[in-house]
Amino acid sequence: MSVKDLYFSWGENEVLKGVDLSIKSNEVVSILGINGAGKSTLIKCLNTILKPKKGTIKIIANSEESDDVSLTDVSSLDLVALSRVMSYVPQSVRTSFSMDVFDVVLLGRKPHIKWRISDDDRSKVSETLRYLNLEDFAFRKFDQISGGERQRVIIAKAVAQDPNLFLFDEPTSDLDLKNQIQVMKCIKKLIKDSETPKSALIAIHDINIAARYSDKILLLDNGSVRAFGPPKEVLTEENIADVFSVKSSVELTDEGYIRVLVYDEI
Amino acid sequence: MDSISVKHIEKGKFQVIVILILAILTFLSSVFALGLGSSSNLDMLTVWEIVFYDIYLVLTNLDVVLRNLEYNLLPCIGIGTEECINRSLVYGIEFKGTTIQRSIIYDWRLPRIFTAIIGGIALAVAGALMQGCLGNPLVSPLTLGVASGAALGAALAIVLGFTILSVPELAIVANAFIFSLIVVAIIIQLGKISSISAESYILVGIAITFICGAVVSAMQYFASDAQLSQLAHWSFGSLSRPNMDNIILMALVLIALLPTAIRWSWDLNALSMAGDEFAISTGVNPNKLRKNILVVSALMTSIVIAFTGLIGFVGLAAPHMSRLIVGNDFRKLIPCSGIFGAFLMIFADTLGRTLFAPIVIPVGVMLSIIGGPFFLYLLLKRGA
Repeated sequence: MSVKDLYFSWGENEVLKGVDLSIKSNEVVSILGINGAGKSTLIKCLNTILKPKKGTIKIIANSEESDDVSLTDVSSLDLVALSRVMSYVPQSVRTSFSMDVFDVVLLGRKPHIKWRISDDDRSKVSETLRYLNLEDFAFRKFDQISGGERQRVIIAKAVAQDPNLFLFDEPTSDLDLKNQIQVMKCIKKLIKDSETPKSALIAIHDINIAARYSDKILLLDNGSVRAFGPPKEVLTEENIADVFSVKSSVELTDEGYIRVLVYDEI
Repeated sequence: MDSISVKHIEKGKFQVIVILILAILTFLSSVFALGLGSSSNLDMLTVWEIVFYDIYLVLTNLDVVLRNLEYNLLPCIGIGTEECINRSLVYGIEFKGTTIQRSIIYDWRLPRIFTAIIGGIALAVAGALMQGCLGNPLVSPLTLGVASGAALGAALAIVLGFTILSVPELAIVANAFIFSLIVVAIIIQLGKISSISAESYILVGIAITFICGAVVSAMQYFASDAQLSQLAHWSFGSLSRPNMDNIILMALVLIALLPTAIRWSWDLNALSMAGDEFAISTGVNPNKLRKNILVVSALMTSIVIAFTGLIGFVGLAAPHMSRLIVGNDFRKLIPCSGIFGAFLMIFADTLGRTLFAPIVIPVGVMLSIIGGPFFLYLLLKRGA
């Protein structure tokens, strides 16, 4: 996936000012930045929920006929075709009309279904439910399970959709500590285990979780890219002070991960 | 095949069977309703005898029916005066029963039951569609202001004598229909605004309701007693007005619109589950879908309401009752709501015309009186 020179504005207010980004397959990329830096906006632009003012977004769209791996411009794809190559997981999902968890995950197969549900679709759904440890919830109502479980169900729906790119908008923001780790582990596992090329782009607030589970970090500052690269290079004390206006110390753990300790605002 | 998939298939089959049972029940209750009435010279068995013997006669005399049809299709014979043969299709078949008996069954009860079935299906399906595409369980076919438009049209015809169609017996109907079409046109215009949300549609609907309501109230203020009573009668909602020609028209509109609605089932599943962003990520364009669905359901509502007057409750309750049975899968919810709507209408109407016979309580009133408490009970039971 590659993004070139992306601009977006709400009326007069410019939110994205020329974002460049490229994601390789089997890579987890986190977007960090303060509130209003444009994290969610960037993700919504990629999924064409919002229409960018300028710039190109290209993605590998392997058509069913050939194994062609050329990059396609997302604006040339219709919504159904787009939903086969990328899947967006919203920050939180509220529902007025609840469904069984199985049926929610089955909606991920929707871009592939015309009317009848095939046996393949069903087994794909139950496979996904098992993979995310949700098989006990398969026939519970979506509004009668906990927030963490609900988040996993929505991720399961995205997995069942079988896209090349996952877009997560703050997948951990409503969750407790253990659920945060479970969800991130699950995303990481999903990307690494996959035989087909898959990658994930995650908008997130927690620096340490981002550093622990992503291959690369995109640091957004006021609508433009401040730094893009592996956590060790991006998360320096200087960058954090500039972008988040907080004092911090960055250390390397024994396992080789970055750990950021935040002290006080500057 | 793994156990979860098998369970899902079984659950689906069970729901289909429940829908079929409900359909059979609805059919039986309409047969029962046909036999039920306050006439002293016509009991239930006689009705069934006449009706089933008629069906038998027509089926065994199909050649006669075809010959009559052939006569009707012949060009007019132009000798002296223009003379056309216009025969009833069953001309020449000897039927049972007295003229009065046959008139009660075929001119009075049968049109009512057909109207109940068609109206019930149309209003309930429109309700299910609107609730789904606006993501709001409080919505009914009357929310968007289609019905208020119809009421305004009817009031203009009754009070001011302003009619669009000059045929007297269709004047009120045509006015009601055309004014509700104006509301549909407003909905279409709204749909062209790219950023319009579900809430905006509802708010605009409420605004339209208030505006039309105010104009109707103003007219009521100046209306004579006779006009007031006619207007009140119109707004009660009754199944006795449409004749067979009207019913065929309603049925044709319904048959034309239903398949379109059912085709959007999967898209509606995604949209009603979790709103616009979720729908987009599943490959559905929420604005386009919402506009299309609203136009289709508003058309369904307006054609029925123009003939029957205001019947609101079935469009709110039938979809919710169906959701308790089949969940929120629109592939099953649409047919199930339709059948439930027809059932509710037949039940309420039959009760309304037999309970205090010979006084007939309008179906709209009856539906709310018996349906309301039942609906409350279902909701409270589920909430507990």
